Order: sequence, then structure tokens, then C-alpha cells
Amino acid sequence: MNEMTRPMLHLMKKIEVVVQAADIKLVETVLRDAGIAGWTMIRDVAGMGHHGFHQGRTIFSDESGLVMFVGVAPADHIRNAADNLRDLFHTRAGVLFMSDVEVIRSDYFVAA
Amino acid sequence: MTQVSKIVAADNGTAHASPSSLALKVELAARTVAPLWPLESAIAVNPLSGFEDMPFEQALGDAARLFGTRAGLDLRLWRRLSAMGRPTREAVRQESIRDLGGLERAFEMVGPDITLVDCLMARLYDLPIADALAHDGDPSAERVAEWCAAYFAKGVAAIPLGAQAPGLFAAALPLLKASFSNPLVKSVPETPMAAVRWALYRLAIEPADQQRFLRSTVARMPGWAGHIRWRDEQADDDRRQERPSGMADLIALILISDLAVGARPVEAIDKRVDVRRQLAAHFQIAADRFSPAVRDLCERDDAGLALIFQQAAEREFATPLAKSIAAKAKTAIADEASPDAQLLFCIDVRSEPMRRALEAQGAYQTVGYAGFFGLPIAVREPGSPRTRRLPVLVGPQHELALAPVRGAEEDARDYLAARDRDRSLRALFNRLKSGLATGFSTAETVGGGAGLWMALQTFAPGLSARLRRGMGGDPQALAPAIDRHAGGSGLTAGERLSYARAMFALTGMKATARLVVLLGHAGETVNNPYASALDCGACAGHGGAANARAMAAILNDRDTRAALGIAADTHFVAGEHNTTTDDVRLFDLQFLPETHSGDLERLQQSLAAAGEAVRTERARKLGRTEQDLRRGAAHWGEVRPEWGLTGNAAFIVGPRRLTRSIDLDGRAFLHDYDWRIDGQGEALATILTAPMVVAQWINCQYLFSTIDNDRYGAGDKTVHNPVAGIGVVRGNGGDLAVGLPRQTLFHDDGTPAHVPQRLTTIVYAPIKRVETLVEQQAVLRRLFGNGWVRLIVIDPQTGQVRRWADDRELNEDAA
Repeated sequence: MNEMTRPMLHLMKKIEVVVQAADIKLVETVLRDAGIAGWTMIRDVAGMGHHGFHQGRTIFSDESGLVMFVGVAPADHIRNAADNLRDLFHTRAGVLFMSDVEVIRSDYFVAA
Repeated sequence: MTQVSKIVAADNGTAHASPSSLALKVELAARTVAPLWPLESAIAVNPLSGFEDMPFEQALGDAARLFGTRAGLDLRLWRRLSAMGRPTREAVRQESIRDLGGLERAFEMVGPDITLVDCLMARLYDLPIADALAHDGDPSAERVAEWCAAYFAKGVAAIPLGAQAPGLFAAALPLLKASFSNPLVKSVPETPMAAVRWALYRLAIEPADQQRFLRSTVARMPGWAGHIRWRDEQADDDRRQERPSGMADLIALILISDLAVGARPVEAIDKRVDVRRQLAAHFQIAADRFSPAVRDLCERDDAGLALIFQQAAEREFATPLAKSIAAKAKTAIADEASPDAQLLFCIDVRSEPMRRALEAQGAYQTVGYAGFFGLPIAVREPGSPRTRRLPVLVGPQHELALAPVRGAEEDARDYLAARDRDRSLRALFNRLKSGLATGFSTAETVGGGAGLWMALQTFAPGLSARLRRGMGGDPQALAPAIDRHAGGSGLTAGERLSYARAMFALTGMKATARLVVLLGHAGETVNNPYASALDCGACAGHGGAANARAMAAILNDRDTRAALGIAADTHFVAGEHNTTTDDVRLFDLQFLPETHSGDLERLQQSLAAAGEAVRTERARKLGRTEQDLRRGAAHWGEVRPEWGLTGNAAFIVGPRRLTRSIDLDGRAFLHDYDWRIDGQGEALATILTAPMVVAQWINCQYLFSTIDNDRYGAGDKTVHNPVAGIGVVRGNGGDLAVGLPRQTLFHDDGTPAHVPQRLTTIVYAPIKRVETLVEQQAVLRRLFGNGWVRLIVIDPQTGQVRRWADDRELNEDAA
């Protein structure tokens, strides 16, 4: 594949957020409000944290356990989301990561 | 902004690139109130659920300031309770000494022959008590409540609001503009979030204060705000889309109403009395003879004093209970012998007296499990919307059709026909009643009949109940189909097996008897908007029969039995315990083989005898005769058909043999658990994160509804008016009531029947396992660490008893 036919790549930012399942709605509000068009949500994630190992959800409670959001959008939208999540983390437990990514269809990641 | 001020702002961290999300602030503000379920499925919630991330004691004070409520039960009521020994004066004295920091400090002399603990006891028991402040009216909230009622009470409100409008705010906006002459309201933006932003700007609320301000705004209407939360987060989609709304709608309406009439005055009246002078009068000395050491004690508020009573009650209840369970753990032998029958009851506190009474009737083994039997289902009656039959912590995974039971097809047809007839009559009546031309003639036409019916319900409630049942048919002629049926998904072989396995794994029970009965429960009452509060909380405020029948069907299923290795002569039967009359009805007995008719007959005799014993016990507590309990279940003027879960105080996780010989007085949720078969602690994690959380909600609802029945509770039942099945208002308007009515919690003379105390959870499992679990589950760290639930662990291997202390470690001191 030469340079002419290689698909054009666009620089975007990715945000990954791990929060308690009880706070799903709060994170969705932040992402939507920051203009992020869509995201992936992975339920029942587990892992090591400040409080030791966090288990996945228990069978009779959707609110136990952790979830992970993955969103991709233009850098300013992701920064807005991160700023607001920082406010959220004053009172709620969670972590967030941001990183640079490249995508093929840039229009796909911009809110209509 | 000049360059210099920019730098200063950046240093202060205020030169934030993006304005903080108003949508997030509104969403966080919404969490100030608990969701409020509609009447048909009223379930208990902690009205202070939004405060569980702070210590219990602090939450009491913060919430009291925000909601304008009491932070503790009125000291006069605590004195009355303590005079009855609940808690005893001695327990309060011990708690006072502990509260003062131990013996040395408590017995410090602060006056002639007067110790510090004497002064504290005088404050607790003897000094005059100032009256609580009267609540000021909130005209904005009252006005917005009217609009909410008109908007949400679709089909019932005489003047429905917003037939076409896309939300509460849009629907109320024209009314709002018409209500005020203030020119300001003409420029209100059209969308709720923009209107909130606009109002915050007009009210000059600084960004840093906005979160607190929005929380206090939502707290002005906990009822309708709670209803909006329920719609937003819990309701099925069809219900949500029917009347769209969000918290921004409500906040915008309140704030704009405030703006239109001028900002709401905030006043704090300091009615502090001179406690030192009161103490001096009590001890008959001059006020100046007290040493300065008495000052801290004088400055305590009534809420702090009430907490001493509460903690004394908690300790006096929990310590001996934990000790006797620990003693039983050493001596009680495992019930390995094959019992006459095994019965699984809901963990509900009302099951405990029934279990105790039944066990006294013969070799019956009773087991406690969440009353939805672990089935995450919704059920759908033909021609009706689905109803959820599972704890609200979890969403329904399956929708089962309610189908006619084999052998009861005719009864099912009669029931459905009667239901449809009743529906169309009601619809017609509502149309005629509100029609301009038909209103008066309707009253004349149906008035005579209605009067007769009222007379019948008053003077012959038993007869009216029989007539109603005769005319209405039997809804139990329909049962959930676990096979695919009429739109219902049914349950696959794999699903059946996994739900059956979960039941045995969580309870540690083995099906060994010839009869195994799964008992749901339901209350029975008429003309009672709070009827569903007497039903099963694990079944989302419905009777538990459907879940019990579905689970029995699963366990009688050939393939499931084969996979589980259930003996051929073991049969499962579903039933429902009526908690108002203590009758037990068993279902689908036509499927039981002839060989088991003798077992069934003996069991039914025992159930009848046990029911009678429990009725006697309950009648005494209600101060009535047994016969009167039956009458109350059918009487339309009955305000207290039963005590519900009043008195609830403990959640015990362990085998029944540890509690079997203890009279728990209907105050304990009992969940069976066998630590030996739960190596990874998964079953215990499930029990503590789901059934225990539901029990904690119930406990907190009873606790706070008692502490301040006017604000956290629903107040006096006799002035309740239901609003379209959504909730009740008091008199003819105002906010929706939250919590429980006065009659559920208080005796007629005003003495609390429910002693406000936090839930004590007692777990029989290795201490290390419990510690690990609490570390792994955020909800447990929050509830135990912040003191919302008291945790006591009894270690089966070492016999140690430990209490979860405030320092978040299991303390050696169990007392």
C-alpha cells in the first residue's frame, strides 16, 4: 500500500474511566455533557486498587462491582470530560486514563 | 482580566479551562433524595441514602439541616421508651459513661457531690425540653407540587397538564408564566437545563456554591424529586416515555417560582436555652458552683443526646444476642436428621415468629432465603403491563407469562373476566364523575350502592371480603410459566439449574425431606394506599407467591432434579404466608402425588396450629383480639392491619440451629448460610451486598420515619389522599409523602412501637473471610465503616466474637 492509498488517520484522544457500578449514570452524564458521541462500557471489571482487590459484581446486585468506560473524541471534548470527572472524584471512587489514539473515521467520534 | 489577576486566579486553581458541568451538578443534586417507588410497588429505601458516604452521626446532622428535619427522636419520646425499659436506664447510664470517654472522666466531680455523668443523665432524663421549631411553609414548593401532580397524574387529574408537551418543565412553563406578573418570568429559557443556568445567574449563586445550593433545592421537595428519580432510574421505558421528566425540570420550576416572588428567606432562630441554669435548678445549687468541665456537656444539642439513647438501645439489644448465638455455636448440634418437612421462608422479620411456631409443632426444618427465591423475573398477566418481582438492586433478566394453572382454567377465565369488567366500570365511573353534565347524576345513581357497600365494609367486613373474592375471582388461578408461553420467555434448562443451585449454595440447605415448601409472603388489607409496604420487599413490593411457584416448578422439573440429584420422593410445593392473618395458602396441590397426601395433611395441620400461635402473639402486640386481626384485614377503616416490619433490628447470617432456641420477637431478618461450603466467600458476598442491603434500607426507613414522622415519614394516615397511584399527599396538596405513616410505627397514644435503632448484622463465618469481603466491596466498607450497620462476626473455628469498630477493624470487644 503506498502513501496515496493508505487511509488517512486522525489524531483523537481516548478516555478510560473505571468507577463503581452505582455511578454509571453520573459518568454517562459527564460524557454526554462533554460532547462525546459514544462510548463502550465493560461491566464487571475487577482489579487491584487502594483497597486491595476489587471483586466483580455479586449475583443479586447490579450496583456492586466496577465498570469501565472507554470513549474516543477530539481532545477538547475529552479534556472537558476529564475536568468534570475530576470534580466527581472528590466524592466518588474511581480512576481515569487519557491517551492519544488514531482513528480512521474522524466524523464517527464527533457528536451530531 | 489583567495579566496579574490571571496568574493569581491560576494559582488559586480557579482558572479552570472548562466550566464545571451543570448537568453533573444536577445529577449529583438528584442523589440528595432517595428514589420514591409508586404505591403499587412501594419498597423501603433509606431516605438518607445520599448521605451514606459519611459517618452516620454526621449524616444525621447534615441531613437535618438540609431537609429541615429532626436529627434524633424527640427526647420526651426516648424518656417514655426508657421508662418502659427500651432501653433501660442502666443501659443509658453505661452508654453515657462510654460517651464521656470512660469511667475516669464520667466520674469527675463538676459540682458538690455531682459528677459529669450525673449531669448528662439529668440532661437525658430530667431537664425541660425545648419545643422543636415549627416548619415554615414553602410556597414555591407547594406551587410546583401542584404542577407535578397535574402533570404526572395522567388520566386522573381534572385538568391534566402537558398532554402534548415533551417534559414537566415545558408543560408547566405556560402556567408558570401565567401565574406571575413579574416581567422576569417572560424571559425564562425554554429548556430546563438552560432555565436552571439562567436562574442560578439571576440568584447570583457563585459556581463554588452551586452544588450545595442545588442539593438544598432538591431537598425542598423530597417526594416529587424522589418520584422523578424513580422514573429516571428505575421505571420501565414505557412508563418513562409516557411522562418524561428530569431533575432539572423540577429544580428550574422551584427556582423560577422563587425568583418570581422574590428570593426565599433563610432564617435560623437560635432558641438556645441556658442549660447550666437548668442543671443548677435540677441539683438545687447555684449555677456558679459548676466547674468549667461541665461546659461541653451544656453545649450538646438534643440530637446528640438522642443518639446516646439510640446507642444504648442498640447495644442492649445486640450484645446479649451475639453472646447467646456464640454460645449456641458451641453447643447446638447440626440438624442432619431427615425432617418431616423443610420450609424456605423469606428473610423478612415477620417470618421469624412463624418459623419458631412451626418448629414447635414437629420435626420441621426452616430455612431463610430472600423471598424472591433468587429469580430475577418480571411477570406479565395477560392484558396488563409487566410487574417486577425482584429486589430493586437488580434488573429483571426474564419475563414470565402468568398463565392459567392446569386444573384451574375456569377460575383463571373468571378472574380475567372479572378484572376486565372492573377496569371498564372504573374507567366509565371516572369519566362520568368528572363530566360536567354527568357529575351530579352519577353521584345519585351510584350513591345508594356505594353507600351500601361502605356500610357492608364497616359492619360486616368479613362478608364484604368474601363477596369481593367471589365477584373478583382468584388471581392465583394464574401462575408464572417457566416454559415459553404467550410472550413469556420462560427459563432454559441451564437457567433453571443455575437458579436452583444458587438457592442451595446461598443457604447451605440440602433437600432431604419428602416435602419441601417454598413460602412467599403478602399482607392483606383494604382501602390502604400503603398495602404494598406490607408485601415482600424482595419481590419489589408484591406478594411472593409468583416467585415461590416459579421456583417450585423449577425444582419439580425432571431435568433440573436429575442434574441436582434430588431424591424421587422429594416434592416441592409453593405457598404464601399471609402476614396479616398468619394463614398459609399452599398452591398447585393437584400436582402432588397421592403418596404424599399424608405428609401434606400433617403439614397443613401444623401450619394452622403455628398460625394460631403467631396470631395470638401478634394480637397481644397490637392490643387486640385474634378475631379482630382477621376483621382488620377486611375492614376499610383499619389503619393498622399489622405492625409490618416494626421492631426490625438484626440481620443474622448463619445456620438456623444457632437461633432456633432463641425468641427473636419478630425483630430479625434470618438468612441461612453455611460457611463450610463457601470457600471463596461468594455466597457471603451475595448475601451481604444484596439481602443485607435491602434489610438496611428497610431498617433506615423505619428508623428515620420514627425519628421525624412528619418529614422522613408520611405522617397521619387519616389525612392521606392518593395521587393517581404515585404516592399520597396530606390534605389536598403539597409534596408527596415519603416514608411510612404514623400508624405503622406509633401506638395510638403516641409512644413509638418501633425503637429507632440501626441494624446489627451478625455473621457466623471466619473473621478473615469477612474482613476480606468488606475490603473488596465498596458498599460494605461504606455501611460498616460509616456506622450505618453494626457488624458482629462470630468465628466458627476459634469461637471469637468481634465487633466492627469505627476504626474499620474487627475489634476484640464484642460488647
